[in-house]
Amino acid sequence: MMNLLLGYQPLLDLFLLHLGLAYAQWLVLRAGVFSLGTVGLAAVGAYTGGILVVTYGLPAPLALIASALSGGLVALALSVPLARLRGIYQAIATVAFIQIVLSLNIYATNVTGGAQGITGIPKTVGTPLLLVAGAVTIYLMYAITRSRLGRAFDAIRQNEAVAASLGVSIVRHQTLAFVLSGALAGVYGALEAFHSYALVPSQFGFPYLIAILSYVVFGGRTSLWGPIVGTAVLILLPEVVRPLADARMLVFGILLILTINFLPKGIADTLIERARGRRLGARRPAEADTAKGS
Amino acid sequence: MLEIRDLQVHYNGITALRGVSLDVKQGEVVALIGPNGAGKSTLVNAVSGIVNPSAGSIAFEGKPLHTSRAWNISGLGVLQVPEGRQVFPQLTVTENLQLGTTALRGRKAEIPLAEVYTLFPILRERSEQLAGSLSGGQQQMLAIGRALMGSPRLLLLDEPSLGLAPVIIAQVFAALRTLKERGMTILLIEQNATLALDLSDRAYILEQGRVVMSGASKALAADADVVSHYLGVTPEG
Repeated sequence: MMNLLLGYQPLLDLFLLHLGLAYAQWLVLRAGVFSLGTVGLAAVGAYTGGILVVTYGLPAPLALIASALSGGLVALALSVPLARLRGIYQAIATVAFIQIVLSLNIYATNVTGGAQGITGIPKTVGTPLLLVAGAVTIYLMYAITRSRLGRAFDAIRQNEAVAASLGVSIVRHQTLAFVLSGALAGVYGALEAFHSYALVPSQFGFPYLIAILSYVVFGGRTSLWGPIVGTAVLILLPEVVRPLADARMLVFGILLILTINFLPKGIADTLIERARGRRLGARRPAEADTAKGS
Repeated sequence: MLEIRDLQVHYNGITALRGVSLDVKQGEVVALIGPNGAGKSTLVNAVSGIVNPSAGSIAFEGKPLHTSRAWNISGLGVLQVPEGRQVFPQLTVTENLQLGTTALRGRKAEIPLAEVYTLFPILRERSEQLAGSLSGGQQQMLAIGRALMGSPRLLLLDEPSLGLAPVIIAQVFAALRTLKERGMTILLIEQNATLALDLSDRAYILEQGRVVMSGASKALAADADVVSHYLGVTPEG
């Protein structure tokens, strides 16, 4: 039994690392910011953490805090031009941002180690710590969802003009969502760095962006369950159906297209909506009865 | 309370308002009636800060609104119930109402949730339901309730009767009458002139971006031209 669990441990680690980034992506989409820059911000956090630990010998916990700050600050800077854009233009701008981060990681050899990347990062992050990080992340996201802030994000996503006319500041809330998402991505970038001994520039590229986006779109963009379900299914799928493992990106791509067409709200959100509809459907006749009785 | 002077709005090369002046005094219900495309919604959106006027001025209690952002204007207590309800479909009724309190921004909440529920009892029954699953009439009530939660000092209502069954319209307008009796200052946009003139103290008639007539609602309702043009009946009939 223990052996079986141990066999799946790398998979669990992968799930937890990707779940964090999926939530970072989910958070911006929730506030109606069409950013695809999550992996770029994760790269910023990963490199900040890696450089601070390897080059400057900082202890990992301090480096982790610095990674969160760097992710958040870069997101803050990026939010200034982003606030002037909407929809597809935000997507293009953030993909360009990923490209800039990638280029810096490759060409700023003195700082980032260039194409070699950063090696010899002490492995300080294991499964228990990732489990704690996962639990804290889910709790934070839950708290945001239940708060005024979460409702404001929902309002902006659903109808920007009306949200503004109700007194919700669009720029302020979207900036906040983007900064929170950037800090979260920064933390998970650093966790990934401290989990894997080495960083290479190509790690945070286009395939990673597609993977993260797939988790959120496939799972669901509005409910808290979306990223969990999406990440779990898409990470397990290639393992369960072993021949698919080599074609992981192909499968993700196809699933992304199928989901957008046939389950536009994602699995978790669609199921939650159905369950909700059934509950209300079941309640209606009862209501009618009481109305008759009174 | 609200003073609009020579307001002009252009968008995408189209002139929507060509110099409109309009006043709403404290405690008054003022109706703005006119056909489709007259610029009624544009006027409300300009007051709310959703569209930017190209000339003229809007002042609320002496403070200029035409230079303010939408979310600041609502903070002053100028709150809009937008055309076509525009509730947040993926939020519950309660969550929609709670969002309405965002506009308070430190002002005292003068209309408690209980009062909104008294005005529209159906909202209490449906409080945990998603707004998207409500009927059109219920959504209209929710949209009004949401604005009330922000303790409006001036309530802007854009076509509250749009697309609703006569029974529901009667319910909505009964609630508006209650608000009027409570002393609420209201600017009501309506295509249904009969309803609008019946509820309001004064009215303006807007056509092609200009005020073509204004005066006491009773007088307008008795005016033969207004009756034949806007009330859909001939004076003889």
